[in-house]
Amino acid sequence: MFIQFLINGLITGSIYALVSLGFALVYNTTRIFHIAYAILYMIAPYFLMTFLIKLQISPILSILIAISLTIIVSLATELFVYAPLVKKKSSPNVLMISSIGVMIIAINLVALCYGNETKIINPSLSDSYKIGNIIITYNQIIQFITSSVFIGLFMVFLKFSKFGIMTRAMRDDTELCKVFSMNVPGFRLVLFAISGLFAAIGGILTAWDFGMDPYVGMPMLLNAIVALIIGGIGKFQAPVIGGLVLGVLQALSVLVFSANWKDAIAFSVLVLFLLFRPQGFIGEKRRLV
Amino acid sequence: MNYVFHILIMINIYIILSVSTNLLVGMANLLSLGQAAFYGIGAYVTAYALIGLGLPLLPTLLLAMGVTAIFSFLLAYISLKLEGDYFILATLGFQIIIFTILYNWIDVTRGPYGIPGIPSPKLFGLVKIEGITGYIILSTILSAITIFVFYKIINSPFGRALKGMRDDEIAMISLGKNITVLKVEAFVLSSAFVAIAGFIYASYISYIDPTSFNLDEAIFILTAILIGGTGNIKGPVIGAVFVVLLPEILRFVGMPDNLAANMRMIIYGLTLIILMRYRPQGIAGEYKFSK
Repeated sequence: MFIQFLINGLITGSIYALVSLGFALVYNTTRIFHIAYAILYMIAPYFLMTFLIKLQISPILSILIAISLTIIVSLATELFVYAPLVKKKSSPNVLMISSIGVMIIAINLVALCYGNETKIINPSLSDSYKIGNIIITYNQIIQFITSSVFIGLFMVFLKFSKFGIMTRAMRDDTELCKVFSMNVPGFRLVLFAISGLFAAIGGILTAWDFGMDPYVGMPMLLNAIVALIIGGIGKFQAPVIGGLVLGVLQALSVLVFSANWKDAIAFSVLVLFLLFRPQGFIGEKRRLV
Repeated sequence: MNYVFHILIMINIYIILSVSTNLLVGMANLLSLGQAAFYGIGAYVTAYALIGLGLPLLPTLLLAMGVTAIFSFLLAYISLKLEGDYFILATLGFQIIIFTILYNWIDVTRGPYGIPGIPSPKLFGLVKIEGITGYIILSTILSAITIFVFYKIINSPFGRALKGMRDDEIAMISLGKNITVLKVEAFVLSSAFVAIAGFIYASYISYIDPTSFNLDEAIFILTAILIGGTGNIKGPVIGAVFVVLLPEILRFVGMPDNLAANMRMIIYGLTLIILMRYRPQGIAGEYKFSK
């Protein structure tokens, strides 16, 4: 039983890690508390459903279109909401409130178009494999491999490409990037695009298994934020560690208590970390006060 | 006529919520996503006091305010060590934890079934607050008291110290003010008055369940004061009136009910974005979130 829950936790955790990484990519570099990130995760499977089921387009193509449209939504948020505010030198709270506004609009637009109820993309039950006492479904394997591949690729690019150097430079000092004549507004678009990509993949992977409703974004965003904080803000490996730890922790809390207490446990852990280890597992020590 | 009275009672409830939340958001620059939790604690304590203990009106109200104040002191103690985003996160965490407890601890809170049949409170054991007329009088008196108290607070030396802290913390420290104490006081005061709204809601509707006090409600309270504006009294009052009246206006315009619920949220969202871009102080507020 224990190992089964551990493995389930690791697989859910790998999706948390991917989604949290997308959030961290924006948060670490631009310092925007990007609450509207939640809607990218929610909206991607709706795009997929539209093309796959309503318009009967082939699965691979539908997935690509859904991901591209999600990225466009992410870019639009930056172009039309954040960028003008940053230009005006608005305070972080103003940016966060606008982000809440974007989230409210998108959730209700989706609810208007598709209804409030849970939608299923893939009605068939997934095949499962039995190894000893442990059961793993085909979907879970896809989830784990896809998120691992994207996280792995991102880490390689972060370490070895020009993109990685620029991202790390933005994280360390945006003003200095401008001094070295880096196109900061342009590069922010790249960051928002990649973060949209990660949210879309996480959203589609989860919705393929469990379906989606217009409100799935917020709980996932909360998990992503908890994963980011317990991993440690500032390092890009942190959300990955935090995501896996959170996934395992939630799975084990289901084993010990019940599934209902998952959120309370995640946030109790968050509060404990904020109080006693605000730098998370591997983040840099910084003053929060 | 009952319909108009019901709207007026809801406006009074939201005026209390937004005027007291304003002390945090507009005066102390503490953006809290946990206000609905305090609203809920106030409502649940009211329900227990009226059903279980059979207390009269004033002791119930004071008990609700007291218990909420204790919870808010705990949250303040934890979260005020943190700054900016981390403070918001701590209040968000508190909101989620309280909601999860209300929803899942079925033995105590009856969870999603809610608490039905909350009786009307008696004033001094004599006058029973009954019917919609009783509640319109009660809620108007309580919201008038709240507005009066916060008007006095905002214009008191304490209020000026909060404004000073909001605009420049370091300057206030150099003037010898203890900003942690200021923040805790603002936090506890604000939450204790939020509990009044919970008290009116629980005894008026006579049924409560956790979904009235979730994160969406916390965001909704925040939306109300951000649209109206923060930093003074008239901003939050206008915001409360706006968010309660808008759905009714949409209904009169003839928007079908199934669209109206989503449409009004879209209008709130758009208003927030446009205000933050062009008028961060809201319709009639004072504070521009300049920090």
